[in-house]
Amino acid sequence: MKYKKIHILICIGILISTVTIGQHKNQGDRITLVTTQTEFEVGSTVLLQFSSSDTELPLLYCSNSYGSTVITPVLEDLGLYYEIPEFITNKKGIVHWKLIGHESTLGMFTMHPQERVTSMETYIGPPTIEAGAIDYTMLVVIPTDALDNPMPENTSVMVNHRFLETQKRDEVVTNKIIAYKNITSETKSGRLFISSECLETNSKEYTVDVLPAIPTDFTISVDRPHEYADGNQITSLYTSILRDQYGNEVSDGTFVTFFITNKEGNILKTSGTTVQGIATATMIHPDQEEAWSIKAYVQGMAESNRMTIAYQQVIKDVEIAFAKANREIKVGPLKSFMNQMIPDGFHVVLEIYKGDTLLNTETKTSKGGYVSFMLKEEMYISGTYTIKIKTAGIEKSFKNIKL
Amino acid sequence: MRTMNKNLLRSVLIISYMIIIAIIIGGISSLFGYLNTGADRASILHTEIQKIDQYIPEVIWAPLQNEGRPMDEQTLKRIENNYLDAWYVKQVAYKTNTTNGIEDYYTENARKNLYNTIAYNTKEGVTTEATTLAHHPTLEFFSEDGQLAVITDTNVVEYKRIYKDNILVLETTEVATYTIALLLEDGFWRIRHMIKDSHEPYIETANFGETTEVSFKGINYYPQATPWDMFGVGFDPEILAKDFKIIKDAGLESIRIFVPYSDFGKAHVAIGKLEKLEQTLDIALQYDLKVMVTLFDFYGDYSVLDWTLNRRHAETIITTLKDHAALYAWDIKNEPNLDFESRGKQQVTAWLQMMTSFVKKTDPKHPLTIGWSNAESAAILKDQVDFVSFHFYEDINILEETYTSLKKQIPEKPIVLSEFGMSSYRGIWNPFGNSEKDQAAYHKEMQGIITKNKIPSMSWTLYDFVEIPKEVIGRLPWQKNNQKQFGFIDQKGDEKAAFKYISNE
Repeated sequence: MKYKKIHILICIGILISTVTIGQHKNQGDRITLVTTQTEFEVGSTVLLQFSSSDTELPLLYCSNSYGSTVITPVLEDLGLYYEIPEFITNKKGIVHWKLIGHESTLGMFTMHPQERVTSMETYIGPPTIEAGAIDYTMLVVIPTDALDNPMPENTSVMVNHRFLETQKRDEVVTNKIIAYKNITSETKSGRLFISSECLETNSKEYTVDVLPAIPTDFTISVDRPHEYADGNQITSLYTSILRDQYGNEVSDGTFVTFFITNKEGNILKTSGTTVQGIATATMIHPDQEEAWSIKAYVQGMAESNRMTIAYQQVIKDVEIAFAKANREIKVGPLKSFMNQMIPDGFHVVLEIYKGDTLLNTETKTSKGGYVSFMLKEEMYISGTYTIKIKTAGIEKSFKNIKL
Repeated sequence: MRTMNKNLLRSVLIISYMIIIAIIIGGISSLFGYLNTGADRASILHTEIQKIDQYIPEVIWAPLQNEGRPMDEQTLKRIENNYLDAWYVKQVAYKTNTTNGIEDYYTENARKNLYNTIAYNTKEGVTTEATTLAHHPTLEFFSEDGQLAVITDTNVVEYKRIYKDNILVLETTEVATYTIALLLEDGFWRIRHMIKDSHEPYIETANFGETTEVSFKGINYYPQATPWDMFGVGFDPEILAKDFKIIKDAGLESIRIFVPYSDFGKAHVAIGKLEKLEQTLDIALQYDLKVMVTLFDFYGDYSVLDWTLNRRHAETIITTLKDHAALYAWDIKNEPNLDFESRGKQQVTAWLQMMTSFVKKTDPKHPLTIGWSNAESAAILKDQVDFVSFHFYEDINILEETYTSLKKQIPEKPIVLSEFGMSSYRGIWNPFGNSEKDQAAYHKEMQGIITKNKIPSMSWTLYDFVEIPKEVIGRLPWQKNNQKQFGFIDQKGDEKAAFKYISNE
């Protein structure tokens, strides 16, 4: 047993001695690196010194993150000196080198960024988010030193953000060049102010708008000068203040469409955009008795209640007089709700039939409460015609009118 | 006399007036035309840039597990394309020390780093020819607004050739890992930061010399009607079947065929051509023939920036055929040593070294060789092949000696004589050429030497050809005519005297 132990010891001894001899051999190479430092800060001068026994001047191949080059040495008393060019020493990362012609002489050193931040390259997006504690914006920061090198991993970055009355400060760390923070909206709309800080360097101020979320259902109201169907006055339609589910007024310019269904089931459409939450739209009064059913929509998002309004007939009856051998037809006086002459512009329609065939339709608007039609000889040769007058929902027919 | 003078004066005045007016109008119209030209509006978004494959190294993305916004395939592909383009413009910039294209793929601040490198290298007379062969990117981060991405690209295999004052000083293959931040600007994903995180020397992982089974009796094959254009419009499976039967019946066991590089579509191998190649192997299998496929025929660039395209070409063909039962071996390139003079020996051998490793890795099961044109070159890259092969068209009396000395030089690997033959052309261009009888005698003697020394061999070739494309041997009629009559079967389809000695049975 003892015998064996001695054997093992001898074996280990031999091993150790070979290793030492091996190392010795390496040192015995003609050119060896003298510089022991392998970590440098960017911007510093990096000088690689090699001991050399002869006057040979081998080139040094050198490669960093962006490119490669070869460096010519300077021979001085103490050996060979290679000054690593600035474009390499200014950039963070591993630098690999190799002596050309002595390919087994190779190595690496690391350039570290400076420990001062001079620029906080900040990317923030999206620039507007929705209120409601679901949507968020992302702040991405690349703190860099004076030579545009990103900070090392796990460098602390403080993110400040203020929303209405609340101000917060969170810590994030750089990971793979960047540091990022998601900032979630609250239920209120408003403006979010964001800034960041790294190694006592502060970024500038960034803002993100928190916009209201989509509107919820609302009500509508109507305002009109009177309730008569005079075809002249204008009825205004209003929404209540449009708010999202958190009570924020929706953004100005939210588009609201009003759909008006009349007695006959036809649809009139008018629209407006919100200002301070309220959208306004207008519609001219009908010219005959009507009942409107109105409903408004923010398309795809919200709708209003349905409301109905009625308009009263103003023209009870129409007087029609024929003159100039029936070739002039005078309609009027058209009187409104206080027997005043109806305001100018009231529609009167004349239809002329030969037998059952409609020959022509003429539309005129009133002036001073009257409308007159001239049936020209060139158009309507002498004969018998049927004439119909339509206005304010009233229709009067005259058969066998001789022209 | 006076009136005539006056008229002359008048006409001169009128003509000069017209000329001046014409010049002025011409000037104004060209100015107007100039002001109306300008960039097409569509070009603002760079949507019209078409993808041309000029740099297609192997890219294997790690599964997506990035932080931030979920990534979609289309954006990832766009990032990949722009990222590879960034590498490409960088390689071109360092090769020529110019700055073309850098603006498009590096942000304003990142550009400076490249410009500084170029400035220094211009001053020092340093140029770099480089390419990356493999990328293994992982998407680390994608910002919520889709404008910023961070990737780490691990184990980027980069081959570099460094020149100082136009003299090659270093050739190196390195493996590095980078962290890259990219920004979307003007429709381009541009590199903002690039940091080398680690560096390792490249270690060759392909194992050569494990598959060394060789075929002893073979022949180089082209169909009689379509030599050097085997997979063109004249491709006919019936002709192949007929020829393969002749070869098999003659006692041979393998054929050597050629895949032309450009004709097959370079990096984008034409499916039609590939199907024809596969069909050829199918037919060979029917007749129990083994096929040695020679790649990169009619290719002669070897430039470093072409490598990724070459690899894609080889990869497509090899992955399609590597499980085919008729496949015997891969011949990387036919007679590459003939390009030493025009392209530089170093350039060619570097390409061969890269390609042999790549082919071996893509198909470790089948043997691989390089078809050197003479025995002197055969030892080059002998460690990068499974068996050595060379061609022999010299004096028959030195073959035995050549072979035995080569065998001594490379004792560990089989040595294949993959081309030999003699033309039986005797005519006006070469009245003292060899006759068919001489050819027969040559093959008889050859078979003797081959049998005696147990040389695995492939003769050139089955047929005499009628027409040879000018790309093969040039336009000179004495060369063309000579090249036409190396066959064992003449132009009429009759067996020549040498046919008796096509094999050593």
